Amino acid sequence: MSEELVIQMKGITKVYPNGTVANQDVNFDVRKGEIHALMGENGAGKSTLMKMLFGLEQPTSGEILVNGEVVNLSSPTVAISKGIGMVHQHFMLVPSLTVAENMALGMVPKKSGVLIDYKKAVEITEEYSKKFNLRVDANAKVMDIPVGMKQKVEILKALVRGAKILILDEPTAVLTTQETVELFTELKNLKKQGYTLIFISHKLNEIMEITDRMTILRGGRSMGIHETKDVTPEEISRLMVGRDVILKVDKDQAKPTDEVLKVRDLEYVNEWGKKMLDKVSLSVRKGEILGIAGVEGNGQKELVDMLFGFNTPNAGTIEVNGANIIGLGQRELRERHIALVPEDRMLYGIAGTASIEENVISDRCGEKRLNKGILFNMKAIHEESAKLVKDYTVLCKSAQQQVGSLSGGNIQKVVVAREFSNGPELIIADQPTRGIDVGATEFIRKKLVELSRSGIAVLLVSADLNEVMELSDSLIIMCGGKIAAYFEDTKELSDELMGKYMLGIEKQTPEEIRRVCHE
Amino acid sequence: MSKKNRTKFSIIRAAAAMGIALLVAFLLILLSADGANFSEKIAASGKALREMLVSPLFKKNGNFSMKNFSDVLAGMIPIMFTGLATCIMFSANQFNLGAEGGIMLGAFVTALVAIYAPIPGPLLMVVAVLAGGVAVGIVMLIPAVLKAKLGVSEMVNSLMLNYVIMYFLNYLMNSFLADTSKGITQTYAFQDNALIPQMIDNGSRLSWGFVIGIIMVILCWFFMYRTRWGYGIRMTGINQPFVMYSGMNVPLIIIISQVIGGVLAGMGGGIEMLGRYNVYNWSALPGYGWTGITVAILAGNNPAYVPLAAFFMSYLTKGCTLMSTNANVPSQLIDIIQAVIFIFFAAQQFLAGYRQKLVVKSAQEELAAKAAAMKAERSEQ
Repeated sequence: MSEELVIQMKGITKVYPNGTVANQDVNFDVRKGEIHALMGENGAGKSTLMKMLFGLEQPTSGEILVNGEVVNLSSPTVAISKGIGMVHQHFMLVPSLTVAENMALGMVPKKSGVLIDYKKAVEITEEYSKKFNLRVDANAKVMDIPVGMKQKVEILKALVRGAKILILDEPTAVLTTQETVELFTELKNLKKQGYTLIFISHKLNEIMEITDRMTILRGGRSMGIHETKDVTPEEISRLMVGRDVILKVDKDQAKPTDEVLKVRDLEYVNEWGKKMLDKVSLSVRKGEILGIAGVEGNGQKELVDMLFGFNTPNAGTIEVNGANIIGLGQRELRERHIALVPEDRMLYGIAGTASIEENVISDRCGEKRLNKGILFNMKAIHEESAKLVKDYTVLCKSAQQQVGSLSGGNIQKVVVAREFSNGPELIIADQPTRGIDVGATEFIRKKLVELSRSGIAVLLVSADLNEVMELSDSLIIMCGGKIAAYFEDTKELSDELMGKYMLGIEKQTPEEIRRVCHE
Repeated sequence: MSKKNRTKFSIIRAAAAMGIALLVAFLLILLSADGANFSEKIAASGKALREMLVSPLFKKNGNFSMKNFSDVLAGMIPIMFTGLATCIMFSANQFNLGAEGGIMLGAFVTALVAIYAPIPGPLLMVVAVLAGGVAVGIVMLIPAVLKAKLGVSEMVNSLMLNYVIMYFLNYLMNSFLADTSKGITQTYAFQDNALIPQMIDNGSRLSWGFVIGIIMVILCWFFMYRTRWGYGIRMTGINQPFVMYSGMNVPLIIIISQVIGGVLAGMGGGIEMLGRYNVYNWSALPGYGWTGITVAILAGNNPAYVPLAAFFMSYLTKGCTLMSTNANVPSQLIDIIQAVIFIFFAAQQFLAGYRQKLVVKSAQEELAAKAAAMKAERSEQ
């Protein structure tokens, strides 16, 4: 293999306008004709780094060299002209147009300068399809073709535009196993033809299978460039998963009592036929926090959706306090005292242009104590909101302030103020402190511990290792839609061990996992 | 942004939109004005504009014109109702445009009750108006349920429904209900006890329906801001997934908002019918529903501002009528003015730069206040 470096990124630092430091002094290079993996957990800065390489973002400092020459990648158009192409995780295709039309977008072949030469577009598509052995149906509409083929169209689109260097952003995240195998064959084929590939992923087995070298990012910094053949999966997981800052939370030993949430053999196959939940069983008891750790996209989101009525499983049972909750709406779930701190707080958690007051009463606006006959009891509502604002130390002028004008941490405090205060028996906290400031994080974590010790069952889903390890009394790790491990006590755990389970290097026996059911 | 600044921005934005609309109107009048040269044209346009802006209130001699003013108030009645109807539907993010057909159907059903129902005394009036409201409320179930259950666009459905209603009513009139002894298509006369009494007897048809309209404004405000259903409607308009997640019944809210809108539009039609006419003779959509949309947009979907917005629109309509009578400018100009106001209100980015400045100013003030508070705290310690 030639040692010629096609891409060099030197000393890249990226600070977003809101103050987030996404990359710090990152060095990254790619050799001609290699498959280079870019690894790291969510939020490690992979996407930002690649966005800068594709011209979607500009570095705050540092320089980028393409084929040894310093370039200013001010837009994707410039990046494409330098031979860089990107295949996004979420496809950028027009569903109602055919494959050939999508291929031709922005570079439409014309007949006598005016009319669109559709035949030519089909010809080009088929020619490239053959050349790279990426089989697509040029005349099919994009909305009718399977995900795997859509991805091929994306790759072809980049190739038609003259890309020599392809960035693939988590290409296997949406694919079934069969499609993944196919994709790898195609990628190896592209490599043989002299193309350079940058492969973003956090799936170890894939990386080991097809890449030559890898760069690992953690917390925005590079953990070095490694030859794939020289590192072991264990080393990779140690480099990838690690804790930086530790916020200590004091808590007493849990004294769990009755079972509140009982999930048994839950299965779910998503709309593209991918199995997202595979025989998931767990129990959460009064007075304990059960943590769910794992790299995102391993079934956690689907599990929470099932628990809060946003989706229904294909098989299995979910019971709360002994009664089935599958098929219930959110109102019935709330009547059963189930509360959810949603992962996407801006979508589900708040109504942005409404006031704090209007946001904290949304789950209880029909209750007697807040109504006087058909009218709202405004006095009771003002008292309730003022109390919640005070108890949850929401930094605001008054409860009448627009919630969307608060900082992220205070918005999340408004969400938890509502979810924690209406007599919950089961709290599902999905990424409760993601992207918020340290003060709010600490407050919410303490509150969760306090509530669990008062006898509430808490299910904590978090991609933040610190959080799950600090807060959970016991812990499960999800990987590939399955529970990979159960730890009765989080104290015995090390980052390395967790990393191995999260990335699927190790797996407990069914008997060990089954202990989470407390039967 | 603070509440004060938000209100300030809304008012400035509304004033700017109206100002631009009037400017456009002036330019159009100028184009069509009579006159041999430019200065004559300017003079003629000035006269026309004066007719439009001043004569709804004042006579030629400068005295207050009670007749014109009560015409303006009378003109507010139907558009207050359609405006309220549209406010409530738009608040739930339901772009139901059915107030237009709704007011026509409401007028028709009320008229039928007023002609045929053997009910004694003023009770007939009440029953007739309520019948109009209920009928339209039921018809609005069509776009509402289709949206809630199947996700069909309520905008398309309600828009088409307007014409279905119009042609269906015309068919009923022509085939069964018309008083054939008359030269034009109209019903038999309403019973006397169905007519809504006039507030002022100067021929301007300002009936007590105006007061009912104001009462409805107050009721609607209470409904929207002081009851759980109005709260649910407003929250649905802001963020529907949030409302679902909070455990409220989103499909029901979608249906209720449109049914209430229908009832209001239908009542408006009934009150207009019994307050202004003694027979039903509409053969085309009356246009009050479209104006109601402008009213709702001007009022920012807040019922409290509906009377103001309705007054403004009614005033302009009266002004345009007077202008066409006295200054030879087509009264259709009102449609253009409405359209311009509409565009600037619908334009999210209109004055966005100014809003950004206010936001930045607001944020800086807050930061300064916070810093001062911290300083005070430190000095205390």
